[in-house]
Order: sequence, then structure tokens, then C-alpha cells
Amino acid sequence: MRKWFLGLFLLCQVGYAQQPAADFRDHVQPAVFALTMVMLHDVVNPPAASRFYAYSLAGAYEIVAINNRGIARGSSFMKSSPHVVINAKPGSYNYRIAALYCILETGRLMLPSGFMLEEHQEKLLKTLKKEKVKTAVIDSAVAVAKAVALQVVNWSKSDNYGRLSTRLRYTPVKGEAYWYPTPPAYMEAVEPHWKIIRPMIIDTCDEFTPLPPVPFSRDTTSEFYALSKEVYAVSLHPSQEELNIASFWDCNPFAVSTAGHMAIGFKKITPGGHWMNIAGIAAEKAGLDFDRSVLVHTLTAMAETDAFISCWDEKYRSNRIRPETFINRYIDIKWKPLLQTPPFPEYTSGHSVMSTAAARVLTYLLGDHFAFTDDSEVMFEIPARSFSSFMQAANEAAISRLYGGIHYRDAIENGQDQGKKIGDRIVEKLKKAGLQPLIP
Amino acid sequence: MRHSTIVFGLFILHLLPSYLKAQQPLFQLQSARATGIRFTNTINETEHLNVLAYEYLYNGGGVAAGDLNNDGLDDIFFTANMGPNKLYLNQGKLQFKEITREACKELEGRPESWKTGVTMADVNGDGLLDIYICYSGKTTTELRRNQLFINQGNLTFVEKAKEYGLDDPGYSTQAVFFDYDNDGDLDMFLLNHNVKKIDNMELARYRNETDSLAGNKLYENNDNHFTDVSARAGIIQNPLTFGLGLAIADINQDGWQDIYVTNDYNESDYLYINNHDGTFKEDIQHCFRHLSQFSMGVDIADYNNDGLPDVMTLDMMPEDNRRQKLLQLQENYESFELMRSQNLYQQYMRNMLQLNNGDGTFSEIGQLAGVSCTDWSWCPLFADLDNDGYKDLFVTNGYLRDYTNKDFLKYWGDYKVKKAVDREPVLLMELVTAMPSTSLVDYVFRNEHNLTFSNKQKEWGLDKAGISSAAVYADLDNDGDLDLVINRINEPAAIYKNTAREKDNTSYLSLKLKGKPGNTFAIGAKVYVYANGGLQYQELNPGRGYLSSLPTNLHFGLGTARQADSVRIIWPDNTTQLLSNVAANQQLSVDYAGGAFTPSSPLPKSTLLSQKKGIIGYKHEEAGINDFKRQPLMLFMYSKTGPVFTKGDVNNDGLEDLYIGSDYSKPGRIFVQQPSGAFAINNNTVLDQPDGPTTADAAFFDANGDGFADLYIARGGYALFEPNTSSLQDALYINDGKGNLVLSPQALPDLSACSKSCVRPCDVDNDGDIDLFVGGRVIPGKYPVTPPSWLLINNGKGEFSASPLPVKGMVTDAQWADIDKDGRKDLLLCGEFMPVTLYLNKPDGFSDKTSEYFEQMPKGCWFSLTLADVNGDGQDDIIAGNLGLNTPFHVSEKEPAELYYADFDGNGSVDPFFNCYIQGVSYPFVSRDELNDQIYPMRRKFSSYRHYADATMKDIFPPDELAKAARMSITDLRSFCFVNRDGKFSASPLPLEAQFSVITKTIADDFDHDGKTDLLLLGNHSDNRLKLGSIDASYGCLLKGDGSGNFTYVPPAASGFSLAGDVKSAGELTIKNEKHIMIGVNNAGIFLYKVQ
Repeated sequence: MRKWFLGLFLLCQVGYAQQPAADFRDHVQPAVFALTMVMLHDVVNPPAASRFYAYSLAGAYEIVAINNRGIARGSSFMKSSPHVVINAKPGSYNYRIAALYCILETGRLMLPSGFMLEEHQEKLLKTLKKEKVKTAVIDSAVAVAKAVALQVVNWSKSDNYGRLSTRLRYTPVKGEAYWYPTPPAYMEAVEPHWKIIRPMIIDTCDEFTPLPPVPFSRDTTSEFYALSKEVYAVSLHPSQEELNIASFWDCNPFAVSTAGHMAIGFKKITPGGHWMNIAGIAAEKAGLDFDRSVLVHTLTAMAETDAFISCWDEKYRSNRIRPETFINRYIDIKWKPLLQTPPFPEYTSGHSVMSTAAARVLTYLLGDHFAFTDDSEVMFEIPARSFSSFMQAANEAAISRLYGGIHYRDAIENGQDQGKKIGDRIVEKLKKAGLQPLIP
Repeated sequence: MRHSTIVFGLFILHLLPSYLKAQQPLFQLQSARATGIRFTNTINETEHLNVLAYEYLYNGGGVAAGDLNNDGLDDIFFTANMGPNKLYLNQGKLQFKEITREACKELEGRPESWKTGVTMADVNGDGLLDIYICYSGKTTTELRRNQLFINQGNLTFVEKAKEYGLDDPGYSTQAVFFDYDNDGDLDMFLLNHNVKKIDNMELARYRNETDSLAGNKLYENNDNHFTDVSARAGIIQNPLTFGLGLAIADINQDGWQDIYVTNDYNESDYLYINNHDGTFKEDIQHCFRHLSQFSMGVDIADYNNDGLPDVMTLDMMPEDNRRQKLLQLQENYESFELMRSQNLYQQYMRNMLQLNNGDGTFSEIGQLAGVSCTDWSWCPLFADLDNDGYKDLFVTNGYLRDYTNKDFLKYWGDYKVKKAVDREPVLLMELVTAMPSTSLVDYVFRNEHNLTFSNKQKEWGLDKAGISSAAVYADLDNDGDLDLVINRINEPAAIYKNTAREKDNTSYLSLKLKGKPGNTFAIGAKVYVYANGGLQYQELNPGRGYLSSLPTNLHFGLGTARQADSVRIIWPDNTTQLLSNVAANQQLSVDYAGGAFTPSSPLPKSTLLSQKKGIIGYKHEEAGINDFKRQPLMLFMYSKTGPVFTKGDVNNDGLEDLYIGSDYSKPGRIFVQQPSGAFAINNNTVLDQPDGPTTADAAFFDANGDGFADLYIARGGYALFEPNTSSLQDALYINDGKGNLVLSPQALPDLSACSKSCVRPCDVDNDGDIDLFVGGRVIPGKYPVTPPSWLLINNGKGEFSASPLPVKGMVTDAQWADIDKDGRKDLLLCGEFMPVTLYLNKPDGFSDKTSEYFEQMPKGCWFSLTLADVNGDGQDDIIAGNLGLNTPFHVSEKEPAELYYADFDGNGSVDPFFNCYIQGVSYPFVSRDELNDQIYPMRRKFSSYRHYADATMKDIFPPDELAKAARMSITDLRSFCFVNRDGKFSASPLPLEAQFSVITKTIADDFDHDGKTDLLLLGNHSDNRLKLGSIDASYGCLLKGDGSGNFTYVPPAASGFSLAGDVKSAGELTIKNEKHIMIGVNNAGIFLYKVQ
């Protein structure tokens, strides 16, 4: 088990105490992971989770950028940025403590069960005191963090999230080609209006509209039937490796299992949360300092957010039927996918779009051949997997949806293409803003 | 002074004993020491056998009562799921002796097996009750074979299931012995259940499968050998079966036994109607409008003493707000639609009381009767517990592990994560024991003789919490009242002694029927007891309730009567025997005598109305839009307004013609009456387009004074319409003098601000032309913001301008009447969350004078206003149709329903919160999930279901925000008749049968030609929030007037009127000089009835 992992759950103080007081670099990941645990508790859906990560990190990023001239302010590459103003002069407060605290504080203010982060905040302060950081230093940093967090929360209010509940609720499109709620819980469609959320870096939700999906057909000689048949066939005799890959990238925040009247929710980290972990693993492996670690986490979160907005725009444009529904209706009524079908339309594959977008950004920042071992799913009793590059991991995440029986191949491949375009556009903007790769 | 003191003292002394008895509760729990009954159904949960491994682990054990040794005392048999069963011999005086092992060692049940229901019946027709035990559980086939213990006559038994062909290895719940083919011997219906819930809703292929272990079975008895005839008889045997309850009754009174089967989960209940030829027809959707979803036990008995069997099914809806909030499922319209599309019908999670209308239809009135919410309930039993001549209702409930708790659902996920983090194994038992246990108090309801019940848990002494399963009633001590026996989980079985006779000295009559050989206990016999001017009806079918089997004698409470004037017995072979002047307070044994054969169905009588088919061929098609997708917190949908029709003579030929509005697939049309009485569509006139704007109401009137009928169409609807757009603009069509109607585009001012409910023409200013009132119903997307209503003044040329009107409210209906007799018509209107309101029309304008003219005027959820002279004094009286009493809401002046609304979170949408009193406190109707979806920051405020469970509006919003909210209220939901007596209106609520449903239309006429005004009340409202469910208990309610403002209900058999569905329009129409009633039913069509 990784050190950060133990640090968070067993004794946070130990994790903090091991660090030299000056840098705090190893505190970044645990703070982000604390957000993950709250979202796990709250069962936050994948697009909403990515948004919470992005906002929780945006303030920390601005604090760092204000204090580190080598790091561009958000306004130089973001579509909209919080325009953070800090009244205290740079140097008059410990900006790293402020940034760390700001992650937790923003999460506390925004997440449904944000109060759970108060415990982490207290632990952080206790650790700092133990490390003999002066109370005045802590106090000034916390004050800055709180002020910045409020500015971020204010800024978040203009991103249309609050207007989601005013929209006409989703009604499944009538017709056999379209998505319909899936077993076992037949949950309502998740975030059908997510496209109205303001993106972080890209310009619009439909800037990278993917190719249209292969048209629906029940004809057994059609391309669509062949795609369905492929999902079905893969499920019949999966290799152990395929099973491992599917479950490793499952990332379903709430798979419902029913036993009679009892419906049990199996919780997992969202796809976005999984990639936040990868960002943390990479930052540590690359030996990034505090500022760069915050940068890697923040840009990963923003790439995720934009990927979900773009992907969700397409999902509710095409409203495509899930393999489970098609196969049950036309091929095998008793067929169940290996993974539980998530409650939203099929095209494109969210994991494919998001993983690819995040991997493109990470590749730009940390290099093409960045090997790492991902143990994010160990807590769900799924062994770690090793990858030779971010793109290899993203490709595996994408194809895992076919092995899992929840996506057709075109939704995966066109989703990867969509993700690549989003990632590349973000990289283009970063370059323009003067953000250089962290590992040349 | 002294004298009177003494008298007073004596009086007190005299009263004392009965006073003391009156203070004691009706039922007294007997101690195990006193009764000798030390039986407990102990459930030992282990890592391997727990509810996560077997979902029916807490469904409980069975109980049967019957006289096994024919000594006149009912003996008791209990099944234990895991431990040994026990048989108790009744020794009189509520003392019992355990004789299980002496009677037959195997009666204890197979070790390591899972035992369920038990039945006592004389299977082999030798005059002795035998015992049949059911088995289930995820065990081996051999451990699951049901057992039949044949009574040897000396209190010993021999197991003979295999010899009789009844050693069925299915997952059995309960068996019932009855004579389905009227051949004189007892056959068996076996109720089974699946052990794995099927979540996938693509059900078609499962339906064609036969699951021999889960599917129910019918066994035919041929000389004591039983053969499985299920397939031939038409019994459904697919794997979707989750049979929990079973009752036999002659539902349609045709002399043949019918079968009611309840199903847990998605599969709907089955009602098997006997075809008289050895087969059954499953006919539930024809008889019932909706069903319990997670149906458990069922009882069938006549509870309103009209001689017709009624049906009670149990479900899991808690009575109190806290548990409702903790347990209630999220409303999921997609799931609901999916279930409907999969032929699973309309099912809701609550108890259903289906009142038999005698014409093959049932009205579900559980909410009106006060018995719809008894929590996680198992066994319903109708029985006259207080001997007053009306059957009361007893319900067992409780569950060992409350895993429907919504916080637990999330807890499980956290638990697994925590264990993984701590690197500890997940222990199922840790999880199992983390589930809260739901110990509940059984419900007992007294029959109030008026279709309703009152809760008597406390007064009758049944206030001890526990986990109860099967139950039976029996007069165990032969003292003339019914005692209760309850099988409980993890605590001793309860024996409650009934003290009705000791307390109130009530009368009773107990009947023991001796039938013909083969069916020696006369199972299936019907008994009618006439006493005290009333009728009581029972069928002898001991298998009712849940996992239980009742004694074979029939108990009738007679109240104060000293005798039954007559007792009519219809034996299983449909011969009748009549006993006269039967003394009360005896156990009467009646032998089969072989009387006259009873015709199975009553002769058809002449009725007041009769349906006429084929005159107007019109089918109405509804688009099926879901308004809750736009505003999820409304109570009702507003889109469904059709079919709308109005009559008028468009071609001045003296015959009434019709306009029928557009629907999903057809435009609005004029139907011209031909001299033959047929109706021909005028093809020159297309009035409104299919799937276009919604027609809410229409009226013919002469707008331009040219002597020809013009047509006003009011636009309504909700889901997809925007205020202030052309789709909400009303239209006026002018008659070209040839019967064609042409749009007059400039005739009306802008009326598109809202959706409308009604248009009412009237010359309000006495200037000789016709003006209009147009009622505003709702602003699409902005419910419940008050919409405008309009007074449109005619300039004489058919051009209208809006005149100010002080109307406030969501108007549903309006009428013009000169109430103050000043020669100017005044405006009466009604609506949601408002009183019926009277605006007096004076030359200087309209003013609200409601309080001056109405002694009492509640705020209601009014749907209709009808003027009629009900007392023959020449003045207009008012029939005001309200929501009715058959809803989850109970409101009064003191405890009103309240609606708060504001844009609380400032995101541009109206947030309406309906509140209603539950057990003395006003709680919001909104669930935590719905609240979180409406106002996102609430996710932070109430982070668990537990935190939200007790919240009131004050806990949800701070005082300043609440103060900013607008408020509306409802103080009465009953429909009323307001009778004009000397210029003032007195309020009298319509009879209870009129409160079964919403009244959307009323037709007043003298249907029985007695010179007095009668009423035909029409309504229903099926498109509501799922938590409300379909309001559909009305099939049209005919009330006979007595000429002085009082009304009595006329059942459908006498009225001849029965129409299911939502009535949206109604009126009288003369066709070929004959008066007809015309009714428009949503998504069905237009129906005509002829007044006889």
C-alpha cells in the first residue's frame, strides 16, 4: 500500500510528520484524496465529481501562481477564471499552506458532505503545529485560503450548475434506437443537461463533436448488429486479462445490487477520481515540488471536467441504446454485462474521452514514456497495474468498456478521438500561456 | 338533599363493575404460563444463513387453528422456520397441552429445512382435519417436499404426502384446499415463490417459461389422489412469481370459487376467475384499477355488509412521517412506465382495500377507509372482533432487519470501503446486525359501519411491539368472541383473549356446517345472517390472511340482537337452506339438507341508465407527456384535458351538433347531427391541429348576434408550452351561416399568459350581447404562481376586450348565476387551494362576497362547479366537486394542507413545497432526494435520510426565507352540496361514496323520474405524482336526491352506470328527441348513456 494511502487513513499525522516542513509536496495528494473519500460517501456522479475536483484545486492553483512567477495564472489559458485577489502581500504568508488548506476549504464549502473535511483540516493544522510551524504563519495562510475559497465558490456560481434543476427533466427518447434506463435499478439518466456547464479551458461543449455513431439497426447483417454481437461475444469467453482490465477501470460510483427488497450500493471511485490518483502517483514519482504537484493535479482535473462536458453533450445528442438493452431485446434476454451499465446514454464512452484527454495533458507535462504503477483500486481488492505511459493507461481504460460489456467499439474509438482533441486543445492553450513541460 | 345523595351513591356502585370492565382493553395478552403455549419462531442468523443469502428469511412462520379431535375446541399448530413445529391441544379455558411428538414425531418438521405455511383441512373427506405443511428455502429438493399428515382419529397423524401426490418440492408459501370444479371433493392450490428476484424488466420471454419450483400449482383431487392440472387450468407458472398471499372466494358470486394470489415485487397480483369448466381466466386488470406493489397477505370478506366480498391486500407503507421518509422508494416514472409497458399494471406501495361494486368492478378505497398504511405488513384478517355486526380488521406487521432503510443502502457501500481500507474481511453478519430491527405494533381497526375504520391499537390493548407473522382468529374458549393467535419471530407466540362478551354483553352466533361426504366441513359454503335489520355475509374459506388457516366454524357478531331473524346457507353444491328465528349466543351445528338449487347470478334488473354504443365513433388518444419532468414537485399533471366537447346547433336545423376537440392524432371537428340521429363530420371545418395546442374547454355561443352559433376554444395544457406564446392563445371561430366555422383572428385580446380551464359565456352587462369569463388554470413551468383570469366584454360585433376582474387563484371551473336577484348574473368559481368564491356582479364591478352568502366555505382542491335545484325551491344550488377523501392527505380547518412557494435558491425556478399533517405535525411531502434535486444546496443541509426524516419547513428554511414564501392552503377535501336556503348557502358534504374520487363533472337530472333532482358524479384523476398514485375509485357515482338536499348512493347494479377512467367532459345531448348523457374519458373516448 502506498505511503499516501496509509497516511490518510491510518494516521494522517504520520504522513504529515514525515515531511520536511518547507515544501509540503506530499500533502497535496492526500488533500485531493480526502475530496475523493467525501465524494465516495456522497455518491457523486462522474461529471459532477470532475467539476468538484476542478473547483477545489482552482483556488490552490491561483495561490501558487500568484506566488510563483514560473506558473501562469489561470486567466492566461482558462475560458473563465476566478480572478483571485489576495490582499496579503506575497511573502507575508506561507502560500503552500494556504494552497493546501484552500483545497480542503473549497471542498468543504462545495461538497454535499463537505463537513467531513473539517476533520482533515484540523488534522492538517495539528500536523503543522507539530512541525513547529508558528501559529501566526498558520493563521495568516488559513485566512488567505478561506478568502480564496470563497472567491472560487462565488465564481463557481456562474457556471450554470445551479440552473440544472430548472431544466426540463429528461424523458427517454421514444424509439428502439434510443437509450432506456437499465437493470437492475432502472435509474434516471444522470445529468442530462450537463452540457450547459461552463467548461474550464475549452471554449464550448460542442467544440469537439465526435463522428456520429454507427446507425441503429436490428438487421443481423448490419454494422450496428455486428458491434452488439462483438460486445456479446467478448463477454462469452473473456480472458483473465480482459476481466482484470474491465474491473480495474470499472469506476462505477454506485453499482446497485439487489437481493429482494434490499438494494445494496457498491461504491467506487469515479473515472475522474481514478485519474486524480494517477496524477498524484505521477507527481510523486516525478519528484515534483509542491507547486508543480498542484499544477499537475489542477490541469488533470480541468481536463477531466472539459472532457465530461464535451462527452455529456454528445451522450444526450445521440441518446444511443446501451448494449445491455439491445442484447436483451434482440440477442439474449438473460445476458448481463460484466460491469453494471451506468445510468446514461452510451455514446461516446465517458471513460474513453476523459482518460484520453487527461492522458494527453499528463503526457505533455510529464513526458511520453512515463512508466508508473497504478494502485488506485487496491482498496476495492483489485490488484495494481503497471503502465509504460499515460496513453497506454488511457487506451486500456477505453477498451475496458468493451470488455465490461457497457460500450460498443465505435463509442470507445470515437471517444478516444474526442478526448485526444480536447487534450490537444488544452495543451495548445497551455503552450500559448507559456506553461512548459515539467520534465523537458 | 340527603335522599338524592344516597341515590347517587347507589347509582355509582351499580355502575362500577361495568365501568371497570369498560376501562380494560378488549384484548388481553395471555401469559405462556397460563396458556401452556411456549412456542417461539426463533431465527438464528449465521454467516451462511442470513438475509443476504436468503431474502425471505424473515417472512415468518405459519399458524393454523382447527378442531382436530372434534371435541368442540379449536387446537393450534405453529410452524417454525428453523426450529421444531408445535401442535397444541386445546383443553378449554385457554389452556393448551403440547402434543406434537405424541401426535406424530414428523410433525416437528424435517431438521435443517425451512418451513413456511400450514393448513388444516379434511383432505380425504373422512370428517377429520388433516395437516398440510409447506416448505421452502435454498435447500435440497428432498428437504423441501411438502408434507401431508392424515388424521388417524385418535390425535395421531401419519405422513402421506407422497401417497396423495402432494409431496411437491417447490418453494412453497402456503396451500389451500377448496373445491374448484364443484365436484364435491377438496382440490388444492399451492402458492409458491421464486428465490431469486429478476431485475431485468424485458419480461416477455420469462412469461413463457414454466418454473416448476417457483410457479403456483393447482392440484385436482381424484379419489384422494392429487394431480397437477395447473397448465390445463390456466395457472401462471413463470419464474416471476413471488406468491406471498392467497385467498379463495366467489368474487363474482356465480357459484364457483375464484382465487386471489398476491405477488411480491414487480409481478402483479393474479385474480383467477373460475370459467366453470376446470379452467380459470386471469382477470385482475379488468376488476381492479390498481394494486399493491409488494403485495403480502390478502383477505377477502364482505366488510360493508352488502353481501359482496371485498379484497384487502397488504404492502409496506409506514403510517408515520419519519419511517415514510426513511423507507419510501424514489419516484421513478421511467420504471413505472416500464412496468406498465410490460403489462405489470399500476402498482403502488400501500395496502389496497378493494370495495366490490357488484358489477365486476372494484373501487380501491384503502386511504378513505384509513387502512392504507400499516408499515411492513403480513397478515390481514377481517373479523368481527367487538361483536357489533361489522367485520373489523386486524393486521400483523414487523420485520427483523430493516434493510429498506435508505441510509443503510449507503452505509453498506461505506462499510465495504472502510473494511478494504482497514484490510479486514467483509463479514456479512456484521452487516446484518447493523441493520436496524423493526419491531412494530400490530394494527387493529374497528369497523365504523360507514365504509371506514378507526385505529384501536391502544384502546383494544394491542399496543405491544413485536415482529408478527401469521395470525388466526378463533373463539378458543368458546365464550362467544374471537381470540387472536399470532406467530412471532424471536419471541413467544401471542394469545390474546377477547373480552367483548364480558365487556359489552354482545350477542353472537357461531355456525358449524356439516357438509356432504368429500367436503365434510362444507368449505366454500356461503352464509347470510339477517339480524337487527341488517345483513352479514361470510364465505367458509379457512385459507386466508398469511401462512395461516382459520377454524371451520363461522362467527357472527350480532350486537344487541337477541336472535338472527334468518340465516340463509348456500351449500357448496349451490343448494340453499333457510333457518328462521335463530337464537343468538349459541354454537349452532347445521347439517347439509339438500335444499333448492340457487341460481348462480341474480336476474338482471332494470336500470336507470343504459349505455348506447355506435352512435358517435370517437376514440381519444393522449400524447403521454409527463408534466413532472418540468416541475417535479407539483401534485397533479395539467396536460391531460381531453376529450373536450361542447354542443350547439351550428346549422340552425333544430338538432344538437357537437364540437369535439383535437387530440394527439386528430384535429378538432364539428359533428353534425343528421335527422337519422347519426353524426356526420363537417369536412369543411378543421378547428385545431392534432398534437398542437391543447384544447381545455370550448363553448358555442352567438358572438356577433347573427343568430348562428360561434365557437370559442380555450387553450390549456402544460408540459411543452411557454407562457405568452401563440400555443396558449385562445381562438374564436365565427359561423359563416352555413354551419362552417372560420377563425376570427383579431376578435380576442392577448390571452396567452397562462393555460386556461374554462370559458363561460354570459351577458354580464345586460347590453344584449354575450360576454365571456375565461378561467386561468396554471402558468406552465410556474406552478403554483397565480395565473390571470379574464372577463371579456363583447362590443356586439364579436370583438372582445378584457375588463378587470379581481379573481385570484388557479381556477378550475366557473358558473354564472344571479345569486342576489338583481338581474345581473354573478360569478361563482372554484380552483386549487382556494374556496368556492362568489363575485357579485354590480354595475361598478365585481366583488368577492363569499363570506356573506356562505355559512361555511372551506378552501379545497376544487375541480368542478355545477348548478342545480336540488330542493325544488326554484333557486340554484351548487354541487362543488373536490379532490375527495381517498388520498394520502388528511386535512381540516385545524390541520390544513399548505403549499409554500418561492424561488428559494434564486436559480429562476419556482420551488413549491406541499405540506400536510401526519400524526399532528405538518411535514413536507417532498422526499430528501426530491428536495436535493430541486435545491442543490440542500444536499449539504441534509446529508442523510435520517437527518431529513423529521424535518419540517422550519428546519429546511430559515425564518426570513420562509417569510418571503407565498402560502396557500386547503382545509377540506370533501365534495359538497351547497343548498341555497333563503338566499344563503348551507354546506352539506355529499355521501361517502361521492368522496371516493375527484369529481370533475356532475350531471344533475331526475334520473328515476320521481320529480326530485338526482346527481351523476363523474371524475377520477390518474396522472398524479407516483406517491399519490392514480385516483380512480369512481366509475360514476349516481346519487338519488330526496328533494330536500340529501342524497343516497345508488350502486351500479341499479344505476346501470359504470365507466372507468378520467372523465374530462360530460353533458346531456338530445339525439332524435331522446335524452342522452355524453361523457368524455381521457385516452378512451366518448360514451353515451340513455336515460331510461
